[in-house]
Amino acid sequence: MNYGFVIDARKCIGCHACTVACKSENEVPLGVNRTWVKYVEKGTFPDTRRYFTVLRCNHCAEPPCVDICPVEALQKRPDGIVDFDGRRCIGCKACAQACPYNALYIDPDTHTSAKCNYCAHRKEVGLQPACVTVCPQQAIVSGDLDDPSGKIAALVAGEQTVVRKPEKGTSPKLYYINGDGASLDPLQAPLQEEYHWSAQSRGVGHFAGKGKGAPGIEKPAHAAPKAGPKVRRVYDIPSKGAVWGWEVPAYVTAKAVSSGVFLVFFALLAIFRQQLPASLEWGAWAVSLVFLALTGGFLIKDLDRPDRFSSVMLRPQFGSWLVRGGLTITGYGAFLALWGGARFLQIPMLETAALWGGAFFALVTAIYTAFLFGAAKGRDFWQSPMLLVHMLLNSLLAGGSALLLLGLGTGVSPEFSGLLRQMLVVGFGLHIAVMLIELYGKHPSVAAERAAEIIREGSLKNQFWAGSFLAGNLLPLLLTLVSSDPAMLALASLLGLSGVFYTEKVWVQAPQRIPLS
Amino acid sequence: MSYTHKPTVIETIAEKLRLVPDLHKEGDGGKAMRAAEEGAETSCPPPSRWDSWVEYDSKSWPERKAKEYMLVPTACFNCEAGCGLLAYVDKETMEIRKLMGNPHHPASRGRNCAKGPATLNQIQDTDRVLYPMKRVGKRGEGKWERVSWDSVLDDIAGRMRKAIMEGRNNEISYHVGRPGHDGFMEWILRAWNVDGHNSHTNVCSSGARFGYAIWEGFDRPSPDHANAKFILLVSAHLESGHYFNPHAQRIIEARMKGAKLAVLDPRLSNTASMSDYWMPSYPGSEPAVLLAMAKVIIDEGLYNRDYLENWVNWQAYLQEEYPGTPATFENFIEGLKKEYAHYTPEYASKESGVDAAMIVDVARKIGAAGTQFSTHVWRSASSGNLGGWAVSRTLHFLNVLTGSVGTPGGTSPSAWNKFKPHVHAEPKPQTFWNPLHMPNEYPLAHFEMSFLLPHFLKEGRGKLDVYFTRVFNPVWTYPDGFSWIEALEDETKIGLHAALTPTWSETAYFADYVLPMGHSAERHDIISYETHAGKWIAFRQPVLRTALRRMGKPVRYTWEANPGEVWEEDEFWIELTWRIDPDGSLGIRQYCMSPYRPGEKITIEEYYRYIFEHTAGLPEAAAAEGLTAFDYMQKYGAFEVESNVYNVHEKAVPSADLEGASVDPENGLIVRNGKGIGVEVGGKACSGFPTPSKKQEFWSKTMVEWKWPEYRMPAYIKSHIHQETMNRSNGEFVLVPTFRLPVLIHSRSGNAKWLAEIAHRNPVWINAADAASLGIENGELIRVNTDIGFFVNQAWVTEGIRPGVVACSHHIGRWRRQQDPEANRWAANRVNISKEGNGKWKMRVEENIQPYESSDADSSRIFWSDGGVHQNITFPVHPDPISGMHCWHQKVRIEKSREGDRYGDVFVDTERSFEIYKEWLAMTRPAPGPNGLRRPLWLNRPFRPDDKTYYLK
Repeated sequence: MNYGFVIDARKCIGCHACTVACKSENEVPLGVNRTWVKYVEKGTFPDTRRYFTVLRCNHCAEPPCVDICPVEALQKRPDGIVDFDGRRCIGCKACAQACPYNALYIDPDTHTSAKCNYCAHRKEVGLQPACVTVCPQQAIVSGDLDDPSGKIAALVAGEQTVVRKPEKGTSPKLYYINGDGASLDPLQAPLQEEYHWSAQSRGVGHFAGKGKGAPGIEKPAHAAPKAGPKVRRVYDIPSKGAVWGWEVPAYVTAKAVSSGVFLVFFALLAIFRQQLPASLEWGAWAVSLVFLALTGGFLIKDLDRPDRFSSVMLRPQFGSWLVRGGLTITGYGAFLALWGGARFLQIPMLETAALWGGAFFALVTAIYTAFLFGAAKGRDFWQSPMLLVHMLLNSLLAGGSALLLLGLGTGVSPEFSGLLRQMLVVGFGLHIAVMLIELYGKHPSVAAERAAEIIREGSLKNQFWAGSFLAGNLLPLLLTLVSSDPAMLALASLLGLSGVFYTEKVWVQAPQRIPLS
Repeated sequence: MSYTHKPTVIETIAEKLRLVPDLHKEGDGGKAMRAAEEGAETSCPPPSRWDSWVEYDSKSWPERKAKEYMLVPTACFNCEAGCGLLAYVDKETMEIRKLMGNPHHPASRGRNCAKGPATLNQIQDTDRVLYPMKRVGKRGEGKWERVSWDSVLDDIAGRMRKAIMEGRNNEISYHVGRPGHDGFMEWILRAWNVDGHNSHTNVCSSGARFGYAIWEGFDRPSPDHANAKFILLVSAHLESGHYFNPHAQRIIEARMKGAKLAVLDPRLSNTASMSDYWMPSYPGSEPAVLLAMAKVIIDEGLYNRDYLENWVNWQAYLQEEYPGTPATFENFIEGLKKEYAHYTPEYASKESGVDAAMIVDVARKIGAAGTQFSTHVWRSASSGNLGGWAVSRTLHFLNVLTGSVGTPGGTSPSAWNKFKPHVHAEPKPQTFWNPLHMPNEYPLAHFEMSFLLPHFLKEGRGKLDVYFTRVFNPVWTYPDGFSWIEALEDETKIGLHAALTPTWSETAYFADYVLPMGHSAERHDIISYETHAGKWIAFRQPVLRTALRRMGKPVRYTWEANPGEVWEEDEFWIELTWRIDPDGSLGIRQYCMSPYRPGEKITIEEYYRYIFEHTAGLPEAAAAEGLTAFDYMQKYGAFEVESNVYNVHEKAVPSADLEGASVDPENGLIVRNGKGIGVEVGGKACSGFPTPSKKQEFWSKTMVEWKWPEYRMPAYIKSHIHQETMNRSNGEFVLVPTFRLPVLIHSRSGNAKWLAEIAHRNPVWINAADAASLGIENGELIRVNTDIGFFVNQAWVTEGIRPGVVACSHHIGRWRRQQDPEANRWAANRVNISKEGNGKWKMRVEENIQPYESSDADSSRIFWSDGGVHQNITFPVHPDPISGMHCWHQKVRIEKSREGDRYGDVFVDTERSFEIYKEWLAMTRPAPGPNGLRRPLWLNRPFRPDDKTYYLK
């Protein structure tokens, strides 16, 4: 059995009965939708026409939300339905990043993730999804795609159909008959602040009732190339906003400091064969430990259900990079503890083992976020192979800056600070190059290019150019290059640390401003 | 297959150690039933399970929590279609959990529009009126106290009794917005001997109705879309309008079979978007387009000769227009060619802006479709324009020409597809004619001149002692709302105002009593509507009351089962009528006696039991299942009385009626005792149509006799907003204020949160080229000046409307004042209304839509602020001198907003609106007509009084 949907746009009249029937059946809160209707208008009078497109979860055969969920709150059933369990969800919102189709929302009641689940509770007793039942035109068809005698299989085989974003490799099982390209491509008709019947002025879902305004609509930096008649989005649901806020870049930064400090520490000892004063070694260890705790703290702070944070370890979905990352951080922490214990109890062999083990885990800790972001199939900008290098460099820069500060504080040899200065100069230089490549290089998709554009010249340009590029990378690079004055070096370190935060802030925010539907 | 999650070893251990909640323990949530076998899907549980249906709760899923429901059918109340609904009553909490479709309803077939399931919001509205409320202080002051139903009944009944005993029957008025009932008020008002029915029809459909009535007596179309080859809509019936759900289903069915759809609409509706031919006609030019199409059909011989020859009164036409010419069909055709010679496609294109070639193409396709040509107009052009009734007259002309009246795939008269219930008591027609409802100036008005009531009262034509407004909100919905406020505030003109309504509304704020009447799942009604080529009845019932009855706990009155003390009109009217005539001496009480228990007051069950027992085929169908007729309707909620109803005009006249009758050799009219009873066609005595000639009247003697000879035949009447009257460079446009949205319904959806979150603003649509020439950008604030004031709204610059036309959607722009009870907070702005003296009124929005705290968590999640702008209140009345229709379209002047203007501002001068009322009144050609009649006898009118009252003394 393989359940899916057909939306027959030859019949859909855009009446929104499906939207409301679903709300009623599933007691969906105000502001968020499991299914909805998007209106797009094309053309110039009198050759104008309006298109209605029903949008919701595609019950993908290869669902990226299931892959990324750390706690198996999203699951692909053997019968093809992608269901969810609100009792398991911790509110990490990774699924909302993984889904390329904007299908998921955070329920403001339970603070857990939700989406169309084919009315699984009705399926259980032999009833059709509520939207299928209500549609006056029977334009929504549900059923077993594997049953050749059934209506849905006959439609999918016998009619011309399209699916949304086939290039994502999700194998969607929602087929549109007479689907309209301009409506199915989220980037063709841009989001608007006001539609012909509605205008959002406050947040919804994760942001419901929080007294905040509506999420900003990104205005395209350039006029779209003229590819045909005017296309305009005239009705859509409210925007759910960027659900990964400052907590995620904060966690990445803390993680960068923690892992970076230990990595640079390891490099200084094992590669550069430096002798470091004990106070510095203890200081580095303490910083690693404290920032590792902060990493966990920011992670938990980001969760919409922080009370369930233990589920990441106790209800693990091992395919998820959140779980793998959690295990990595745990391993890293264990080795940190081991190093501290070994140093305290003065067992050099154990200390060396802890140093090498810790360095390995620190490396994975530094870069695993790139894999997590890479699993977020909704965010093309993060699908870059450069992201791994970017994460590693940020880690080394954070670590190097922190160590330099520590060193200046504990009083170290000029050789030490000279070495660190060289590392930082190379690091900042490489990082600037990597960022510029990520921003100005050719992107494999329009969405990735648009995200880069938002950073380069859009709503995030000030934060990037001032906070990240100039203050966070270029200035510290110059300072570290030309000065050996401790005060200047301390300033460079602080700037470098804040630069890591600004970079991550912008990198996390930008792709969330690209519409998915 | 039932899937449950399989935990990892780690999770199992963690659950055992109580580190995390155990999600895998054996459920004790109960076991659900199956509606279909494993692997299959059906839309609805079978009726055999409706007394006890167990399914899983959606919010708890995947935890299996079984909930037991009783499924009770009812009918939606949100528009006239009355689509079937199935209420899921939670047997534990005795609350309605949700409303889905009723598969047994022959029209809606288990499916609904968005408003159907949203009924739940209206029922659960935390601001709804739950108890009878009486005003404290001055009318409109905003203070209210709760009172008992008993005191309300005694007060109103006493007042009515006094009025009736003093012969002031014309001071009692029942003013209805959404009826939702059939036959009930005919019984009640006649029992009172009061000509009290006043309706909203003249702001709705009387324009279209008159155009049909003058042709065939029946006043509405019933298109058989499902079997049509070509469909022509002067409407937007794929998204709005009465019966849009059942009609849309059948229009799409036809299209999937290859039928083509043409739409006449100046605005790109969703319907026009789905059409094969969008004919964006300039408002009011539609009859010119339709007559051009008629001309093509006539000239190219595409007409249905048999139908025209047999069923049109062409003999009368030739006699009157060409006396002496032989009465041959060929001469009739020659005459037609002459009549419509100047309606060339080019002329129509000049008037309408529609491409001439498209007009010809569509005309030929209509000719080819022949008898399978279905059409529809309800409002739109027929309700917007002076002479809008010509729209339906010329549209029906095309049906007549193609012989598609009453055929499969054609367009039948509505009455053929509408069931008339047989009520237990039929009081004689009332012996009064109320000139406040149907004044002499408008003898042909199709329904009551309801929107002129404030002006009539101002002129001193009469007063109202007891005024019921029932699901009716004229202050907001009607034109010139401030004149309504002035009238309502005057206690010398309106003695007692009782508002029967489920929610607070702009009109209820000016009432003396606000009496909560139930919504679709909280009341009894029988309904039948012309949705397709069949005849059905549906039963609206208070589902909690029915559930209690099924559970062996019956109640006496519906308010005992409903939330609070929400009652229903049916029982209220019976109680009221009973108390008006306590000793029966007024001859009123007798009509409320039970037909089954002599001398006792009728109960609501008995009322419907009688009707169902006298519905053809229903007792038999019920008996086949071992049920009484009433039980059958309670169980299934609907019954198909007849299917495939066509060509009823060919039904034979019963031979008993032909005794002593004579047949006119000229035109076949069968006359008996001076009355036409049928018409002979092809040698057969057919019942025909309810017109003087019993045929389709191409030539109308009535129009000649009633002083409108220029309109004796279908013609084009230039609208009051014709292009000639517009000075474009001055920013003058025609405003179309009547277009509707698929998710809203007048002022009843303001408390439906799922609907309000989809639609809550109504900017003014303006064509991009027009906007550019005025220098107006999208979203910019503009002032829309009408003849009596202005409103300030935002521009919606679009390619979806004809240049020269602007449009603003209905439903939106609700309000309450600071002193008024809070209600409809999903949709209503808080406004300040100030009187500036000399009839000048100002309204300004003080607070737009805000989230609020309530027992419904969703109220704090309101994500919109825009509550739109109230436009109707700035429109003067435009009574069409013939149909009586309020011509909605306004000539407006658009300008950029001025300094100090704010979004939502409204200004009106009611002295100016009174002047305009008088200007339009001067266009009338009043009664008397022939024989001192105040109205043609053959032209029916709602709640028809005794024939004696038709004569002016």
